[in-house]
Amino acid sequence: MKKLNFGIISYAHPHALRFASTIAGGKQTKLVAISGDGSNSDIARGEAKKYGAKFYRNYEALLRDENVEAVYIAIETYRHKEIAIRAAEEGKHILLEKPIALNLRDADEVIRAARKAGVKLMLPFNPRFTEPLVKAKEMIDAGEIGPIEYIQTISENVKPPIFLQGLDMGWFLDASKSGGGGFMDTAPHGVDSLLWLTGDLPKKVYADIGAKIYGFPVDDIGTAVLEFRKGVLAVLTAGWGNPRGYSYGIEIKYYLVGREGFLDVRTAYPDFTVYQDRAEKIYWDRPDVRGIVSSFARAVLKDEEVPITGEDAKKNLAIILAAYESSRKGKTVKPRV
Amino acid sequence: MELKVGVIGCGNIFNLAHKRALRGIEGIRIVACMDIDPERAREGAKEFRAKAFTSLDEFLDTEVDVVEVLTPTYTHAELVVEVLKAGKHVIVEKPIALTVEEGERMIKTAEKRDLHLFVGHVRRFDKRWIQMKEVIKKRNILPMHIRKAEVQNLPFPRDYWYWDENRSGGVAVDLGVHVTDFLRWFVESEPVSVYAVGKSIKEEARANGTFDHFIMIIKFEGGKTGIAEVSWAYPYPSRYGVFYHHVDIIGKNGRIRYTPLDTPVVGVAKANFEMPRFSPLLSTFPDAFERELRHFFKCIKGKEEPVVTAEDALIALKIAERAKESARKGEVVEV
Repeated sequence: MKKLNFGIISYAHPHALRFASTIAGGKQTKLVAISGDGSNSDIARGEAKKYGAKFYRNYEALLRDENVEAVYIAIETYRHKEIAIRAAEEGKHILLEKPIALNLRDADEVIRAARKAGVKLMLPFNPRFTEPLVKAKEMIDAGEIGPIEYIQTISENVKPPIFLQGLDMGWFLDASKSGGGGFMDTAPHGVDSLLWLTGDLPKKVYADIGAKIYGFPVDDIGTAVLEFRKGVLAVLTAGWGNPRGYSYGIEIKYYLVGREGFLDVRTAYPDFTVYQDRAEKIYWDRPDVRGIVSSFARAVLKDEEVPITGEDAKKNLAIILAAYESSRKGKTVKPRV
Repeated sequence: MELKVGVIGCGNIFNLAHKRALRGIEGIRIVACMDIDPERAREGAKEFRAKAFTSLDEFLDTEVDVVEVLTPTYTHAELVVEVLKAGKHVIVEKPIALTVEEGERMIKTAEKRDLHLFVGHVRRFDKRWIQMKEVIKKRNILPMHIRKAEVQNLPFPRDYWYWDENRSGGVAVDLGVHVTDFLRWFVESEPVSVYAVGKSIKEEARANGTFDHFIMIIKFEGGKTGIAEVSWAYPYPSRYGVFYHHVDIIGKNGRIRYTPLDTPVVGVAKANFEMPRFSPLLSTFPDAFERELRHFFKCIKGKEEPVVTAEDALIALKIAERAKESARKGEVVEV
């Protein structure tokens, strides 16, 4: 069976570690090259050695490698546009870390470049690739809890250590590079789930987002109220609200209230807990990352539509940006979706 | 000194909570029970070997020091003002009144006559929240972002007064004041603005043109956020009226969470599924009412300082009232 040859551009985002192991171990994928752009160049080099992939100091060299058919881009967000456009121009299919870009104009440019080059562009929003949420979606679509009325959801992470698994994540605390703090980091997951579960878009957003907890130069927690066109009301809390010592790393939950029943969907990743001086959840499987990589590879190999497009990601970003705007102005905002 | 106590309104909250609480409190005697329904007045009076009344004037002629007003919300203002004018201290169920304007009038009347006016914000006497508040203090948690949900499937028929916004204030006020007071109590800041969205989910709500599901985002001074979620429309089997609280407190130095799963419950597994239940209908533990009333009576005797005042109750109502305005306008409203 034909395998898709992947290159990974940058280890700035810690997800690169998970994607590398999933791509390298995938039935349909092969990890052939890694570039060391941005933060954590030394880690990227070590990973290349570990997986027997070719190491490039910069992405331009990687993009010229004809063996590379697709790239997973995990560079700092502010460089998404520049690199995604170049990757498209070199004819590489693109799996681009979220958020798609810093602003909607840049998102448009990325989408346009991919379309023009005829390459696939996909964004990885994890929760919809997890089993509990897939099951919930099936039950909702089958009408088991009646029409959805209200969704309360959290997508949260722990206080971000500046060094995680040896990675320097300092850029997460620089809004000019990341676009925002905890809310920008984690809310896109919750938003994607809401769009997917409801099959609808919000007409109005109100949010309160701020640097409330740690005194970081970026926001660390926020809550948004989203009023959807067909009537669903949603409250999303996202950020880095979990203190050290909290046993969950990533915590993603949904409380789905239908007219005839409710679903309580808990943290999506299968885990066990280690109790020492503090409790720690170990995620022993990440079906979400496998699902993202395999659905992207399938879309490329069979020339099908990817499950999450650049347009989807742009709408997602528009909602996130509307939430930030609302919080800044203290007013409701109509997202540009 | 023994306080002579009269009760106006011998309905739901009297029978479910106050009756039992009053029986356990020392230093008081229930001498008069009034209800517009003679049967209920008689039943209530029988409990305490008190005198039964159906007329307010006759009731007020009796020698009582304190009157508990346990009637539907829309009657609070008129009754409380009457009772105060008759020179008696008042303990009234929450919400303090249907509107802020009414609440202000009640407070002014009490002040003018130098009488006590207490409002039954029973959450302040619930061991869970008292303990949680103590832990927050002791461990210096510094709450910044609090979500509190109080949700149930209201088991009353559509013509019951709860569903009539002109009589109960709707879920935004009836359950809303519990949560707005809780949030203000926990963040220890004053409200600045509120944004709210309401929904009418159940048939009873739609028929009455009121909300049965209501959320508020309240900005408090100091960059603190309160998220209130109140609902009468949670799709639990309504015959039990199961009442659930959720709390999630994110602070500068930690996080505290409370879910229904942390509450002692009796799980019931039968052929036809039933929800776990602990105290059907009641939103708190019975001892909270007893603690509340004992405290209010001690305040009246001058032995304790009130932990929650009529002014606190008024602010709780004010936030809920502004929230309703916000939901109507679809915009943020200053508090």
